[in-house]
Amino acid sequence: MAVAPMDTIAPVQQSPHRTETGGGRRSRINGHLLRLPFYLLALTMIAPFYWLLITVFKPPRELARTPPSFVPESPTFANFYDPEWSPHAINPGHLQGIFQRYQVDFGFWRFMFNSLVITTSITVGSLLICSLAAYVIAKHDIKGRRTIFLLIIASMMVPWQTTLIPNYVIMRNLGWLDSYTAYIVPALAKAFVLFFLVQFLQSIPNELIQAARVDGAGEWRIWWKIVLPLLRPALAAMSIFIVLAEWNNFLWPLIIVQSDEMANIPVALARLNSYFGGPDHQGAIMAGGLLASVPTIVFFLIFQKYFTKGIALSGLKG
Amino acid sequence: MASPIPLRGRLRRYGTSYAMLLPFLALFAGFLLWPLANSLYLSFTKFDGINPATFTGVENFVQLASDGRFRHALGNTALYVVGSVVLGTLLSLGLALAFNGTGWLHRIMRTVFFLPSVTSSIALMLMWKWVLYPSDVGLANTIVDWFGGNAVAWLATPGLTIPILVLMSVWGGMGYGMVLYVAGLGSIPQEYYEAAKIDGASTWRQFRHITLPLLRPVTTYVVVTGLIGAFQVFEAVYIVFSQGANTIGGVLDSGLMIVPYLYDQGFTHFRLGYASAIAWVLFLIIFVISLINLRVGRAMKEL
Repeated sequence: MAVAPMDTIAPVQQSPHRTETGGGRRSRINGHLLRLPFYLLALTMIAPFYWLLITVFKPPRELARTPPSFVPESPTFANFYDPEWSPHAINPGHLQGIFQRYQVDFGFWRFMFNSLVITTSITVGSLLICSLAAYVIAKHDIKGRRTIFLLIIASMMVPWQTTLIPNYVIMRNLGWLDSYTAYIVPALAKAFVLFFLVQFLQSIPNELIQAARVDGAGEWRIWWKIVLPLLRPALAAMSIFIVLAEWNNFLWPLIIVQSDEMANIPVALARLNSYFGGPDHQGAIMAGGLLASVPTIVFFLIFQKYFTKGIALSGLKG
Repeated sequence: MASPIPLRGRLRRYGTSYAMLLPFLALFAGFLLWPLANSLYLSFTKFDGINPATFTGVENFVQLASDGRFRHALGNTALYVVGSVVLGTLLSLGLALAFNGTGWLHRIMRTVFFLPSVTSSIALMLMWKWVLYPSDVGLANTIVDWFGGNAVAWLATPGLTIPILVLMSVWGGMGYGMVLYVAGLGSIPQEYYEAAKIDGASTWRQFRHITLPLLRPVTTYVVVTGLIGAFQVFEAVYIVFSQGANTIGGVLDSGLMIVPYLYDQGFTHFRLGYASAIAWVLFLIIFVISLINLRVGRAMKEL
């Protein structure tokens, strides 16, 4: 799923119409009546999340029951780890928690670790590589600059699935299948990141860079000491896009991963889902889903103020 | 744009410039341009991934034109794209108009609607699959039961597949559009509305003649990114509807769409040439949307 720049919490300028209908009690009630369908819609937003959450804390027996309970009657952490489950003896009413489900070292932690390594490497790597290139394209007067930039912009029209098959063949021929390399290296050159950074740099005056050149600083030093700090808000905004996209990446990992060990969280959970369909297994699966969501939500909460800037910079004005 | 560079430093700096561009350009060429050219070539071949590709001319495309499953996939995709983009855009705008204030209630509502955008997408898909469980243990059927209905096999009823996929997409995406629209609304100068009020314009006329036209760039963005994203749908079909390797599109292929079919042909049946042809059809569709977008954008600037 693509992710938008946003500002849920950051204040917006005083709103236009509707909210401006006046301060009277009557009109306030009218306003709420007008919004009634949206309040109901909000309920349909919350209900599935609530369902997910209560599922995580219900034991298998309660999950298989009809009608379902809407408050867990015997809340438990067994869907994460059930100490009473044993691989050797059947213990009715007890199933493996999510951390006991996978036959790999460290169980589900392994996939959390994989996702973390992959997402971090791609985010840091692509921001470094793209900011270097963006600096040259925005601020260096070299031959072919415009052509290169146009080519990169044009490439943003190519859906990445078009290159899926050749890239798979390339990974196979290089012997990279089933490795972090296959996750990370093809994902580093991101055209939209470069485009965004170039736009941002063009809005920054050249004086600082010029002054540094006069002082005898080399280009690499200028990039590291001046350009990167100047780009900070843009890099933060881009990192949110990249982190969310890579954390959720599914189709590419599905194709390049063969072993159990190299799956990222989405592939690992998809496999679990294809093996266990019964309602009593849903607790562990939803626990996995919850664990998959916590890092992105936390990351977003930390960086959310940069979303507003992201919108302002993303070319929406034009 | 770039500053005048003293001549003596120019040569040295050129070398550095290209060196700085190199990592990006090498990766860009190696994993985008070269594969792109390659996939075009492969789309004119028969290729199973093991034996060398054999050139077959336009045969793949001829075959695609008469491939019932592919046509079905295109039809499903069209329905899905129209449904999710139209509904999604309208609801995004509606939500933004309803909840663009700074008060706590509005903030909470915006957070609620945006929540799916920051939740792991695999978690959302698995959640839907569990909500739509075929028996009365699932949430959807429990609600049906409250109203006295019988349990519905949500995921095994072909007529429900596309509507469910559209609802999932709208549910997950409207908060994203809402946020873009809220930002757009915030950038409309308040004076316009004040002037309109002095002229006695009704709320509807203000909306029709001030808000809507000034939100047009946002609308274009929401619609175009929505279209492009919808054409590429894969995960929802694969996780929620596919039932084993040979039924990737769900019951009776009712959820088969372009990218799932590409995956099916390429990685289940190992017809990599044929799958490349499908990939190029997808590319052409998205290319045309992007061109229309450019056209529309330019035309609007000239207006």
